[in-house]
Parts: sequence; C-alpha cells; structure tokens
Amino acid sequence: MSQSSASSPARKSILNPLADINLNTPQTLESIYPDAKPLRILPDVNVIKIGGQSVIDRGREAVWPLRDEIGEIVQKHRLLIGSGGGTRARHAYSLALDLNLPTGVLATIGQSTAVQNARILQLVLAEFGAIFIIPEDFQSLPLYFRMGCIPIMAGMPPYEYWEKPPREGRIPPNRTDSGVYLTGECLAARKVIFVKDEEGLYSDDPKKNPRAEFIPRISVQELLARSLKDMVVEPVVLENMLKAVNVREIQVINGLVRGNLTRAIEGEPVGTTIYVADE
Amino acid sequence: MTENAPFDDDQRRHVQSELMRESLVGQHIGAKTGTSQEICILPDMNVLSIGGMSILDRGREALIPLLEAILECRQKHKFVIGVGGGARLRHTFHICLDLGLPTGALAMVAGAVDEQNSRMLWSLLASSKGMSLNKENFLELPLWLDEGMIPVMSSMPPYHFWEPPAGRQGIPMNGNDLGAYLFAEVLGARSIIFLKDERGLYTADPKKDASAEWIPRIGVRELLDRRMPELIIEQACLEAMINARHVRRIQIINGLQPELLGKALDGEHVGTIIDADL
Repeated sequence: MSQSSASSPARKSILNPLADINLNTPQTLESIYPDAKPLRILPDVNVIKIGGQSVIDRGREAVWPLRDEIGEIVQKHRLLIGSGGGTRARHAYSLALDLNLPTGVLATIGQSTAVQNARILQLVLAEFGAIFIIPEDFQSLPLYFRMGCIPIMAGMPPYEYWEKPPREGRIPPNRTDSGVYLTGECLAARKVIFVKDEEGLYSDDPKKNPRAEFIPRISVQELLARSLKDMVVEPVVLENMLKAVNVREIQVINGLVRGNLTRAIEGEPVGTTIYVADE
Repeated sequence: MTENAPFDDDQRRHVQSELMRESLVGQHIGAKTGTSQEICILPDMNVLSIGGMSILDRGREALIPLLEAILECRQKHKFVIGVGGGARLRHTFHICLDLGLPTGALAMVAGAVDEQNSRMLWSLLASSKGMSLNKENFLELPLWLDEGMIPVMSSMPPYHFWEPPAGRQGIPMNGNDLGAYLFAEVLGARSIIFLKDERGLYTADPKKDASAEWIPRIGVRELLDRRMPELIIEQACLEAMINARHVRRIQIINGLQPELLGKALDGEHVGTIIDADL
C-alpha cells in the first residue's frame, strides 16, 4: 500500500496527455499522436566523418587531396564535418587505462583529441568557408549553411562523464563514429558518410589479415548477426540505426582514393553501404 | 623496432601505446582494457537525487522539511544533489512530440526544466553554502565538498541532440535518474539515494493499484527480467547498473519522510535497495 499518496502535499501539474504516464520504461505513444509526422530538421545536409587515425594522422599526403575534393563538393552540396580522434586519442586512452581511470573520464579526455583534429581541419578548409563549431552552436547551423560555411565539429558526442561503462573493458563505446551518426540522425541528414582508409567493410581487419573479404552492401541486421571480430564502425552506431527514424543507411568509403567522396555524395555505391533492412 | 621511432610503416603516424594501430572496434578490445582496480575518484561523496514530479512539484510543503534534513545530514556526510524535471518536462515532451521533433531534440529542449529546478533549489540552499554545479566545475569538487558546500546540479545527462534515437515518437530513455546515477558511478561515489514520493519500488504503481506490494530489496537483473510495465526508476539506470564498476547498489527512499535521509546515508535500509550483485 502506498503510505504517502493520501496525505502527500499536492503536486502542481500541467494538464497534458503525458502528465501521468510512466516514462521510465519505453512507451508506445502512437495512439496519442496519430497524426504527428517526423520533422526533418536539415534534410539537405550531408554529414561526413573524417577519420583521425585513418585520414588526419596521415598528414598532408591524405588530407590535401581530400581538401581539394571538398572544395569542389561544397560548390554543390552542404557538408557538416565531424572529426575523428586517432592515434593521440589512443595514446591518451592507453595512459588513462594504465592509471585505472573509469570510462567516463576516458570519454572526457578523448573529446579533446577530436577537438584538436576539428580545429586542424577547420584551418585546412578555412579557404572554402570552414568554421569550427561546438555543440552549443548547433542551433545556428541554418545560418552557417546560408552563409555557405562548412561547419566542423569534434565527432565525439558530448556524453563525457556520463558515458556508460561498457560490459567489458573501459573504452567508451560512443566515440566519434557514434557522435557523427547521431548528428546525422537528429538533423535527418541527406547522407552520413564515414571517410576512412579502407574501401569499406571487410570480413576481418584487412590491415592485419590479407585474406579479409570486401563487403559492398550489407544490412545492419546481418552485420550484427555475423558478429565479426573487427568492425568498420563503432558497433553502437549499428544498434542506434535499428531504432533510427531518419538515417537508415550509412556509407563507409576510402578517403585516400580521390573522387570517392564526390561519388558517394552523388549517390554512387562506392565503399560499403550499411542499411537497415525492413523487418 | 626502436622505442621512439615514428611508426610510419603503414603510412600513418602513430604514437606508441598499448592501443597503437588499434581500431578500437574489435571484439577483443574489452578484454584488453579491463581492470579490477579502477579508482574511486571521490569515494566519500554521496549523491542525492531529488525527483522532479515526486518532490519538487509538490512545492514548499514537501521541500522545506527535506532541506532541513539535508542541512542536518551535511554535518556528517558529503553529498551532491541532483535535481529532476517533473511536470514541465512532460509538457515539453508533449509539445515536441506533437510537432514531430526527433528524440535528440526532446532531450536538448528538456534540460532547461532541470535547470530551473536546480536554480530554485540553489536559491533555497545558497545561504547554507549551496553551490550551482556544472560539469565545468567538476575539477573543483574536492575543494567544494571539503569546505562543506552543497553542490546542486541538474540531473539530466548532457546527451542533448546526441540522445540515441528511440524510434518514432521516442521519449529520451536517458533521463534524470540515469544522469545522477552515472555521475555517482564515474566518480566512484560512496552511495546514491533516490528521493521519490513512495517508500520505494512496488509490484505495480501504488498510486493506481491498491494491491501493489512493496519490494524491499531486489537484484537488478531480476527486476529487469520481470519486465514491469511501470517502474519508479528509469530502466536505463537499471541497465547501466549491470555494468557498473563502483555503484553496484542504489536505494530509493520516500523523500516525503525526511527523517529517512539520515538513516539511508548511514547505510540503513529504509526504502527499496536495488542491487547489481544480488
């Protein structure tokens, strides 16, 4: 029996359909909002992740050709770029692990390396209108796009100390792939493209296993079922895709090959496409 | 391989570390990065999570006696207070869902409600060393706690636009309970106590079902396995507990009976204990 309800001080409430629904467990609300249509916030923006270890850490050799290509692409398309972390993030994680620090601290530290890379990319692309933005600038994006800018932000989602510890180990499950994907999903972006240094997804890490096979197109469901030893994107991206409303397909391309990014943005099946199969 | 050579053999510039060349997405990464000795950053800090709808929305009559108890407990215990949303949070979600906004937008807009509540609570505690705590201040927490201050923060985790999607018309699953909980977990807090308007967890919502039975203690896995349609605490918080390194148990107490707070802080069982090791 409730001991409190009868004698408790009254609650000040606001009358609305959710006022007394228990929201601590997932609820089906379709019956309350039968006519609500998902709002697509910025549907013509392409969200691009530029890898840290895979692209930026290679320096000029990888970044400058990509710079020229992005300069051409933005004549026609709107780009929002998220940066990866890369080798310094790994070094920082490695040190933090050695110091027995928790996952949330690793996530907070990892953010800084991605911020460095976003600042570097902004400087490299400044001539084409690149600007460095932080999560707080998110609601100014329409202005930046109208001005022809290329907003560049750290790929890490702002979870920081609130990153949930994974089942095993202490590497933050939500890193720059996750942040960039969620950026695209929230904006209902036209495309979410991960620019890395491999053609896309392989049956194993091709840098370590030369017999790894290339996979051009695969559903999230199949990919999760295959339980590959190594994965081309953070597994949490796949889990989030299954619950996504807007971005049900992502593409992973090799940014070291000139023209791949352009082709991907034009809609060509370059690299690996990962999609949510209709159930 | 010399110790400090630039590792340029695959055309990437590496810094030597345990994770060098590591994709960080392989299945082996978990086993490689575990430890049984993760440090507790603030092991003598407790977290008090004050419910929005259950306590704050009841105004002065509920809050003033509770704050008196809080001030008394501060003589003996260090704690941070996390504050929830409540009725205005529900109304925010309602308007946003009706407009078709995505889950991430709901999470972003919702945070302001906790913010309002934490400001109100701060106003009431300011003369007793109440401090408004933001994540930018975390590095100062040792000093604040040592100086007898009472940091008050908004419990909402800062996932904002990056809240994971929860399907069409998805309400953010990571709310105040989870935010306060993860704050306690990452800092290796001594305990977390959730102050709500019931004695704890019941088999059903006691406000709607008179036959609901109180559950004094339960394992978190067992609780999740029961798949109860209504819970007094966020499911996401319970799920996070399973992987917790430090805060393996939580207690939910009735904040409308402020005398319970001191007992709970002393480690007494006065509400429902949910335990990840049970």
